[in-house]
Amino acid sequence: MFNQESTVTAKFEIVLDGETIAVPGDMSVAAALLAIGKITTRTSPTAKEPRSPHCLMGICFECLMEIDGVQRQACMTEVHEGMVINRGIKEGEGGK
Amino acid sequence: MSDHYDAIVIGAGPAGLTASSRLAEMGLKVLTLDEQIRPGGQIYRNVDNASPTNLEKMGEEYRKGLTLTERFRKSGAIYLNNSSVWNVEPQGRVCYSRDGVSERITANYIIIATGAMERPVPIPGWTLPGVMGAGAVNGLAKEAELSPAGKVVLAGSGPLLLLEASLLLEKGIEVEAILETTPQIPTPAILSDVPKALLGTGFLFKGLKMLRDIKKTGVPHYKGIKKLRAIGNETLETVEAECGSEKISFQADMLLLHFGVIPETHIYRMLKCHMQWHEKYRYWQPVTDSWGRTNYEKIFASGDGTGVGGALAAEIKGELSALEVAHCLGIIPTYERDSLAASHRESLLKDSYPRPLIDAFFAFNPANFTFDDDTVLCRCENVTVGDIRTIISQGVTELNEVKAITRCGMGPCQGRMCGPVLGEIVAAELDARVPEAGLLTIRPPLKQIPLGELAAMDIVADGVDPANLFKNQSK
Repeated sequence: MFNQESTVTAKFEIVLDGETIAVPGDMSVAAALLAIGKITTRTSPTAKEPRSPHCLMGICFECLMEIDGVQRQACMTEVHEGMVINRGIKEGEGGK
Repeated sequence: MSDHYDAIVIGAGPAGLTASSRLAEMGLKVLTLDEQIRPGGQIYRNVDNASPTNLEKMGEEYRKGLTLTERFRKSGAIYLNNSSVWNVEPQGRVCYSRDGVSERITANYIIIATGAMERPVPIPGWTLPGVMGAGAVNGLAKEAELSPAGKVVLAGSGPLLLLEASLLLEKGIEVEAILETTPQIPTPAILSDVPKALLGTGFLFKGLKMLRDIKKTGVPHYKGIKKLRAIGNETLETVEAECGSEKISFQADMLLLHFGVIPETHIYRMLKCHMQWHEKYRYWQPVTDSWGRTNYEKIFASGDGTGVGGALAAEIKGELSALEVAHCLGIIPTYERDSLAASHRESLLKDSYPRPLIDAFFAFNPANFTFDDDTVLCRCENVTVGDIRTIISQGVTELNEVKAITRCGMGPCQGRMCGPVLGEIVAAELDARVPEAGLLTIRPPLKQIPLGELAAMDIVADGVDPANLFKNQSK
């Protein structure tokens, strides 16, 4: 859904939903995930439907995910090497 | 770190940066708390970390931010990024969370410069992955040089929608359509704003050029659209709308929504600052004097959070608030404050000339939306418009009652996404004005923090324990 035109070469390895994966650095977790095509940020706990970030500025809370053990807004958290992220996306509830 | 400052500035957008810089340049001890990763706010997001190509691409307006961040870096103000302020008290105390630790600090004066946000307007399907704010995508371009791939539809109203459309078109993005809710023929009421606008034509010419550039691309551009809806299974697939009697439909991977910009008022409401409803712009703003002082002696509101005026106006408002704070601290006498303020006030006035016309032209009109019963209003708690209407038909007459019964506005976003339109819907159902329907009460913590973090706080200074931080929770 996004193309990265960046000349930034920083790459980090993170653990996303139990899987080791490379993401671009020098940006928020939300941006880094969007850059590698991970659009779904979470399953809405009430609607049980997939959601993606909506505002990317700390307002909508749709990018809440467990980052290094704490529920945080992915758009307000800078990605770093070795970060452990769990989106809590359950099977059969969509998500890319 | 010392825990008392001459001034704490919350937010590092144009207003926060200038306010902090001015005060620190005068030798005052200033702490700037910013929730974002880097200074610049949304308009100048990531500006002092942007690649040369991105600086070039984002244009001259964006590069102006460099002047502000450079001044700020040199000023001596202490900058703490990634800091979420979750409580502010009128006596001048602030609680914030950073790197998993919460601190409670004090200041003689607090300048709140938390800016504005895109007006959230629920449409059917707006929770589908792929439906985002136009401003969000603009922010991604600044922060990470990301551009939408696939088919994009832009919908809504306002200069920023058209600006984003022209930026995407310039980049060669596949824009399928631009769908404006703005009426095809503006109401005659805007004529009264024309003479003033002619005093500041630069902005208007820029807008006209942008419209011409969009037209040249041949992208379908509709005005006066109604019944906008996003359709898809797990992600967005189609965008539908009605234009007059014509039904229009576009395949889309992304739908970028924008319905104008409104002040972000949560922090003021938590403080119980006096708020006023702006009928023409249809938003709430804190009541301030011309320096930005709220009804609390120590609390200042600055920038777009006090009424949307754009980046330059925010910058000037930051200067004005800082001058008054410096004056109150005894750093500059009254005559100096006033003489320094005079040229800023003049620039602010000049900058404001074209704005009423533009605002009137793109005014948000809730009557253009049907707000269908099955549309999700509260994204966090999955409350629909129909749920709200049902409760009102049973006799509920106030926003906070609606919240208590339906949980609308009670999720993690605390009504940031549903609150503005909840007010419109409740007012419409009651056949009342929005202020009569009330305003959602906001309580600390403004953003959620783990209980352990709260318990670990070292609060001894004046015998206030963590439990008392939430003492005003009776209603």
